[in-house]
Amino acid sequence: MAYSNHMLNSLFNTVVRLSPKVLITILILPVFAGLLGVLLPAFGWLPALGKTQLGLQGFSQLLQTPGLKQMVALSFSTSLLSGLLAFIFTLLLLATFFDSPWLIRIRRMLSPILVIPHAAAAIAIAFLITPSGMISRLFSPWLTQWHIAPDWLLPHDPYGISIIIGLTLKELPFLMLMTLNAMAQPALNNKIQAQYRVALSLGYYPITAFFKVVLPTIYPLMRLPLLAILAYASASVEMPLILGPNTPPTLAVAIMNWFHDVDLSMRIQASAGALLQLLVTVLVLTTWWLLERAIKKVSYVSLSNGKRNYGDIILAKAVALLTVLLILVIALSLAGLVIWSFAGYWHFPALLPEQWLLIHWQSALLQLQIPLMNTVLVGVLSTFIAVVLTLLTLEFEQQNRVKLTKFHSLLIYLPLLIPSIAFLFGLVWLQEALHSDSTFINVVFAHLLFVLPYVFLSLANSYRRLDPRYAQLAASLGATPVKVFFKVTLPQLFAAILVASALGVAISFSQYLPTQLASGGRMLTLTTEAVTLANGASRRVSSVYALMQMILPAMAFLMVWLILKLKRKW
Amino acid sequence: MTSSLQIDKLKIMRDQVPLLALNETIAGGDVLSIMGPSGSGKSTMLNWLAGMLPHGFCADGELYLNGKNITHLPSYQRRLGLLYQDALLFPHLSVADNIAFAMPKEDKAVRREKIAKGLKDLGLVNLENRGPESLSGGQQARVALLRVLLSQPKAILLDEPFSKLDSQLRQETRQLVFQQISQHQLPAIIVTHDESDALAANGKVIVLDATPKHS
Repeated sequence: MAYSNHMLNSLFNTVVRLSPKVLITILILPVFAGLLGVLLPAFGWLPALGKTQLGLQGFSQLLQTPGLKQMVALSFSTSLLSGLLAFIFTLLLLATFFDSPWLIRIRRMLSPILVIPHAAAAIAIAFLITPSGMISRLFSPWLTQWHIAPDWLLPHDPYGISIIIGLTLKELPFLMLMTLNAMAQPALNNKIQAQYRVALSLGYYPITAFFKVVLPTIYPLMRLPLLAILAYASASVEMPLILGPNTPPTLAVAIMNWFHDVDLSMRIQASAGALLQLLVTVLVLTTWWLLERAIKKVSYVSLSNGKRNYGDIILAKAVALLTVLLILVIALSLAGLVIWSFAGYWHFPALLPEQWLLIHWQSALLQLQIPLMNTVLVGVLSTFIAVVLTLLTLEFEQQNRVKLTKFHSLLIYLPLLIPSIAFLFGLVWLQEALHSDSTFINVVFAHLLFVLPYVFLSLANSYRRLDPRYAQLAASLGATPVKVFFKVTLPQLFAAILVASALGVAISFSQYLPTQLASGGRMLTLTTEAVTLANGASRRVSSVYALMQMILPAMAFLMVWLILKLKRKW
Repeated sequence: MTSSLQIDKLKIMRDQVPLLALNETIAGGDVLSIMGPSGSGKSTMLNWLAGMLPHGFCADGELYLNGKNITHLPSYQRRLGLLYQDALLFPHLSVADNIAFAMPKEDKAVRREKIAKGLKDLGLVNLENRGPESLSGGQQARVALLRVLLSQPKAILLDEPFSKLDSQLRQETRQLVFQQISQHQLPAIIVTHDESDALAANGKVIVLDATPKHS
């Protein structure tokens, strides 16, 4: 008995000691191997096609592609502008509602939007702004005199305006929540609240006080989520596929098409394109960094110039209006999806269909059985692995009273910062080379790259906030590390673990590119089906798929909420 | 006209339970000391004065500054200077810019001159361009004091302002603060749990009771 206890303890200690390394390896190895797997073909080395001579042929092929400049410009401008807009809106909302109970309400309202997959959000927005969409119906014919759907460019406009709208609306809640979470750290929160009050007592109007006093302190905490947004947007596939132009598309979409080309030699051009994509992403991030420095330099003088009011009163009203508008846009696009999913015959300017049907749901649910099962299985398994690894790594931190270095933290977020299109193809190549034939396992590992950072982010805060004295007390009472971990630490983290798990499955549910690539297009999930159908014939079926994409993560969070509620009662 | 701060029949309630009541007038240069155990509501009262009553509390009563009713003015229009136990200097601004931040908008050179003179008067020569975090606790407290004074407040509220300083420094800083208050003829209220603060303030002392804990 005592012997097996001893075994258990030393096993636990070993597992805990190794877990940070395993976690980092799982994240780093695929990314770097993936990058290598893109780098070599880009320079012409592709043994599968019998090409083993290094050269620049891929790049010259790439540079001769018609419309390449537009592709790059589109990727660059849509990501930078949407990031900038999301940043500005976030700041305006924070500044206006900084000291108001509305901040908590907004946070609650935004949380569910955060887990809406990009594809579903894109579909909802497409149906909102399309010529026969909700906005145009809302104002027709009484204002516009339109009796047939007008002919305007949205969505799929060549300037990427639709992409910018979609990305901004999707990234705003993310940035807002990340900032609010960062600001919620007790020590920091007390400090910025007190400094904000000092500024108010010195006569500063609220919005000005926020920008002059609070923003300089919290901006460093916003930087990483901001860079993640920009990097993601510069290389994202779902939004431009559903909302963007086709001739030419954004660079990332073009690269994906080349990889999927029946002509396998296009892979060389695609790999060269993936490297160009990396360059574009770096360019976007660098531009942001330069903008940041320039603004900091220019604005420093005005911080202490004594001006206490920059049109605060009008600005506050404008932001209130903006908030209402944002909520309306979100509500209208969701309502549009729901209506379409039940719509029978529905002629143009009518706001509601003449006929309501269940058939789209019925047929979709029949077709969706296998995709649904795949989605849930992959989500649950990748999340389970992510949660276990994260908990063990955090336990390692606590046992050794070290915090992961900045470098390690950066490594954890690497898969979020490096455009997935640039390393996922390499990852596929690696999996082929390793003869890893199980589609299921390949997809789980690909998902893990994106699930793990979010689960870690979500759990780390709660874990590090635990009062270490409980564990110390338990140890002083003679509890072994295993016992402390399972009986003291984990129960305190019960809620946090459930929330992180729900977040994990939600992230997994929403993955398009990793699923598509790691399975070679063979595994159908809710998201891959939704994206495939988004530009297809039936807006009604598409609506059902988009709604299903929202319902599934919502159900995960609902389950967590119910469990926590039941537990509290008990 | 002499300056004054008048608290007229103030009652503060927490969730409908009365927390404290106060009716006082403080003349310019005088310091009212409010003492009481934690939970007696003394900091809440200071928050009400500053126009920042936390959610969950409500208050009844009026506040007059120099005869003007400021009860319903937002905090940024009250012109009440606040000093906390932490100096709360803005870490992203230099010492001089921290003070400039508080001063009314005027010619830059004039402001620089006033800042230099103020720093010199408080024995803080040549600290203008330092970052606030590189200063000692006592120096930070002085810069915070100067920041409040140069913002030209009409009254000063002090929330346990010396409790984080060690005893030698505490005495010096306290003396300096009260001396400046009397020199500027400002009405002031200090909230403290330290009797020696109240003694040094040399004014009226009010002791609040601990509120009965309701189950």
